[in-house]
Amino acid sequence: MIEPYNKLVKLAARAFYDDLTSKGDNQLKTGRSDNRGIAVVVLDALTRRQWVREEDLAKDLKLHTKQLRRTLRFFEEEKIITRDHRRETAKGAKIYSAAVAATADGHQAAKEGEEKVKLHTHSYCCLDYAQIYDVIRYRLHRMKHKLKDELENKNTLQEYICPNCGKRYNALDALRLVSFEDEDFHCESCDGKLEVEIDKIAAQDGGDGDDNARRRRREKLKDMLQKMEAQLKPLMDQLSRVKDLPVPEFGNLQAWEARASAAVRAAGGDINAGDSKMSQLGYNGVPLPYRGDTKVVVDFNNTEGEGEGFKSETDSTTLKVLPPWMITSGMNLTKEQRGEVKEETKLDGTSTSTATQDTDDKKSTIAHAHNKNIQDEYIKAYYAALLKQQHEMEEATKNQLSNALVAANPSSNTSNRQVGNKSKREEDDDGTEWEEAPIAGNGNEGYKVGDLNVEAEKVPADDEDDDVDWEEG
Amino acid sequence: MFFHIVLERNMQLHPRYFGRNLRDNLVSKLMKDVEGTCSGRHGFVVAVTGIENIGKGLIRDGTGFVTFPVKYQCVVFRPFKGEILEAVVTMVNKMGFFAEAGPVQIFVSNHLIPDDMEFQSGDMPNYTTSDGSVKIQKDSEVRLKIIGTRVDATEIFCIGTIKDDFLGVINDPATV
Repeated sequence: MIEPYNKLVKLAARAFYDDLTSKGDNQLKTGRSDNRGIAVVVLDALTRRQWVREEDLAKDLKLHTKQLRRTLRFFEEEKIITRDHRRETAKGAKIYSAAVAATADGHQAAKEGEEKVKLHTHSYCCLDYAQIYDVIRYRLHRMKHKLKDELENKNTLQEYICPNCGKRYNALDALRLVSFEDEDFHCESCDGKLEVEIDKIAAQDGGDGDDNARRRRREKLKDMLQKMEAQLKPLMDQLSRVKDLPVPEFGNLQAWEARASAAVRAAGGDINAGDSKMSQLGYNGVPLPYRGDTKVVVDFNNTEGEGEGFKSETDSTTLKVLPPWMITSGMNLTKEQRGEVKEETKLDGTSTSTATQDTDDKKSTIAHAHNKNIQDEYIKAYYAALLKQQHEMEEATKNQLSNALVAANPSSNTSNRQVGNKSKREEDDDGTEWEEAPIAGNGNEGYKVGDLNVEAEKVPADDEDDDVDWEEG
Repeated sequence: MFFHIVLERNMQLHPRYFGRNLRDNLVSKLMKDVEGTCSGRHGFVVAVTGIENIGKGLIRDGTGFVTFPVKYQCVVFRPFKGEILEAVVTMVNKMGFFAEAGPVQIFVSNHLIPDDMEFQSGDMPNYTTSDGSVKIQKDSEVRLKIIGTRVDATEIFCIGTIKDDFLGVINDPATV
């Protein structure tokens, strides 16, 4: 649930804060002090955590606390994170540490330097997802608005700024600003000369605004608008994806701590047990170098443990027997995938299931025992017709392709065939065909049985994986 | 835009005006009071065109003044965003120029002046095209479009643009 939001944050970080430098303006930019990209790193780190003490974060990121704090302050101003400061003793810090331990299992190392008795002000920070969503939308809106306005010359309200006191005026104040001594506008409060604020994106080409320059500028703007649309497309997609999802809320620091420690207690006070539970749920805060997709393990047969869910991830590369109606003329398929062999045995009417046929298959076989006869008749006829047609169509291509492929993989293992094709296959899968594919494809090829078992077993879990996967996009 | 509307006002009249001409006095005082004023709600009152109804007067305690509720018809002028107006330039500076359309003050900032017009300073500051064929200076008449209004309780100020088709100088005093 939180994953799409994290992706949003990551995209936004790369889109908007990539070249952010947090430094004094007078500093010379040597290679050493060039800290662009820190913002991205910090935001990414925050997506893997919930509330985090800033010192711990600094330690984890191997950053100087000051540097980190500067970046965090910037993000606070940008309304991307919420921060909380409080004075606390070592005991208070321990409450937090316990809470951290409940959500993140890699933080034990960070606890060692905390045996301080003195009262210290600690700062905590956390991403504010609800606000981030709004901030990004607003930012995109403003960008688009500004570009469009300028494109249509609608950016009408000229703004003026007083260089002395920084007070801003716009053209609607012009009457009050005009002075009769000279031709300039003067600040109301300090009588300084006002300057036109140049916030135009396209560079003002001095005064030579001839037709060409104007057209050039228009083109530049249009170009910019298009580029923006194209480059921020992933971000906008992610925004729309996130739109209907509930916002992950951590509450304020106290509430979060209370909740986290309650979770620890619920887990029997054993912190490690709590850890594994949390991390297995895909709870945010597992500091892995790369976090995969949220894993939802649905236990269909009551036989699959958690291991199954993980296994499926690695096994998802195996090729599946494609149902015949999904085979189109352009596909590179092996014979097994086509399900050609199985057809032959099917037609014999002696499709004997081997002893090792998996439970899933059995279940569906029983469930469909009644319909099966009718269906089989129909399917047989249908497949036969379809196959015949495809045979003719692909006679030429198939010969060379399947020959080559089979030759390359003489063993019975289909798992690593046509790696390049795999994603396409998976895309085509949609829960409905499994009911029939194993029935049609399983019980006939003895040498493949073991392989197919693995496939069929992980089918439900794989389905779930797929769902999340595509949402993630 | 002009509107002909009915407004109401409580007029206080000094007892010395009481007599045969009370009504005339009341009307002339109304005109003096009302014409040329501006309300943010209705705009500038240009002229009183008639009296609808004068209510019963009420003598104020202590002063002897009498308050009459007067309903009157009048023409009001209220500028709107997007409206095209003709105005006379009153002042030119490098920030743009000010113009007046009757009672309304309009400011046209320099980036709402066509890009091919440039500011020329001097004792008669003006905006001129590069070939000198079009010149905006004091007392020029321009047609402009209102793009923003600032409406206070007693004041209306507009900003306009001449950066659009068919806008700009319509009558140049220098060439007349």
